[in-house]
Amino acid sequence: MNRSEILDLIALHAREVLAGLDDHQFSPSDRLVELGANSVDRAEIAMLVQESLGLSMARVELFGPNDIGELADLFLAKLHAAA
Amino acid sequence: MRLRSPVVTGVGVLSAIGQGKDAFTAALRTGASAFGVLQRPGRQRESAYLGAEIGDLPCPPDLPRQRWRAASLSAQAALVALGEAWTEAGLNEVDPCRIGLVVGGSNVQQRDLARVREAHGGSGTFVRPTYALSFMDSDLCGFCTAQFAIRGLAYTVGGASASGQVALVQAAQAVLTRQVDVCIALGALMDLSHFELRGFSAIGAMGSDRFADEPSRACRPFDQEHDGFIYGESCGAVVLESEDSSARRGRTPYAALRGWGMAVDGNRNPDPSLEGEARAIRDALESAGWQPSQVDYVNPHGTGSVVGDETELMALHACGLSGVRLNATKSLTGHGLTAAGVVETVATLLQMRVGWLHPTRNLERPIDSRFDWVAKEPVAHQVDRAMTLSMGFGGINTALSWERIR
Repeated sequence: MNRSEILDLIALHAREVLAGLDDHQFSPSDRLVELGANSVDRAEIAMLVQESLGLSMARVELFGPNDIGELADLFLAKLHAAA
Repeated sequence: MRLRSPVVTGVGVLSAIGQGKDAFTAALRTGASAFGVLQRPGRQRESAYLGAEIGDLPCPPDLPRQRWRAASLSAQAALVALGEAWTEAGLNEVDPCRIGLVVGGSNVQQRDLARVREAHGGSGTFVRPTYALSFMDSDLCGFCTAQFAIRGLAYTVGGASASGQVALVQAAQAVLTRQVDVCIALGALMDLSHFELRGFSAIGAMGSDRFADEPSRACRPFDQEHDGFIYGESCGAVVLESEDSSARRGRTPYAALRGWGMAVDGNRNPDPSLEGEARAIRDALESAGWQPSQVDYVNPHGTGSVVGDETELMALHACGLSGVRLNATKSLTGHGLTAAGVVETVATLLQMRVGWLHPTRNLERPIDSRFDWVAKEPVAHQVDRAMTLSMGFGGINTALSWERIR
């Protein structure tokens, strides 16, 4: 799984949770908050991505990323650490 | 001194025989049924429970499909039924802070919860964060008030199969005490999983396999061959409003709630109590200031339970209601459990408005011929005063007295 594939997963699950993103072109600098996600939506998207990746992370580990690119990096690092 | 009565200014209904009051009324008239082997995912495990399921619910046009999909079936049904009642009552013109919502039903989302647990194979690792919201019945309050401008009060009440009527009583009290001017009582869709169906079957409350090959004959309230209830998904909403508010807004109400009775048996078991049921009926008559002879129609609880049906008719006899006009809405819809009290109130109000009573399916040989049964065909009958009855496990009995507004 590379960064671009993880970004695709984030986009997939963001569309599943958030309205109005059907035609949105996702880019790594997108911020979930700016796409309309509240804190529950963000937690929901993060959980869906973890499930897709088979990756279980504590909530505190998910603090920090400023955009979905950084979020993808975080997941990628965790995946590599687990491998 | 009689309290002023809340009036009904809008209704909404969903059932397997019809979604919305027009389709529902048409189905009542023809005595429609939709019983079969339950198909919804999570309803069967090496079993073939019978029941009636509502068709697909369309996502309301003003709601993002993501929000819709994230809601339980009970919450979706609540939103649709409430929406119908809301529109009919024209509640957009009422101050949101003067509108309340009482949801009747507890533990209504069982199939949803069972599916979450089964999907995660006993591990909670990937449980959705929103499960913290959705597992509670009060999620129905949040989901509905996020869509409709209700800012006065919203909470849930439970009374097993009497939950719908308990919600109506709570809503009436909120209007009578002027906590709000309008209060919507919702009978929540009880979404059973195979676990609850197994339990109801094991305790002997649910109809047996006698009619497994003929599902449309299985649900037979008050018939000599009855042997338990048959489940039917349903949901109803009734808008109760103060007479002042309704008059100020120029609404034409269906009926006024003139009185009610609520009595408990002091009994944890499912068996009914003649004394408790009779007390609820008498209290409902007395608080309305009615003589039994003034009642034109009773919409009974009538589930098809052998002891339940018999006890209910004995209670009607004991209260001077021998010979009253009766049909059984559950013979068409199935038993909606928490929804039943509201759905059957809606059926009663609609019948009051159209001037006929719906047939009772499968009532071939009534267990008591001293009542004026509406059996095979609808009967023209103008109802001015009606009573609706509900009984729930735990010995909870309720009766409501409705008077048509002309």
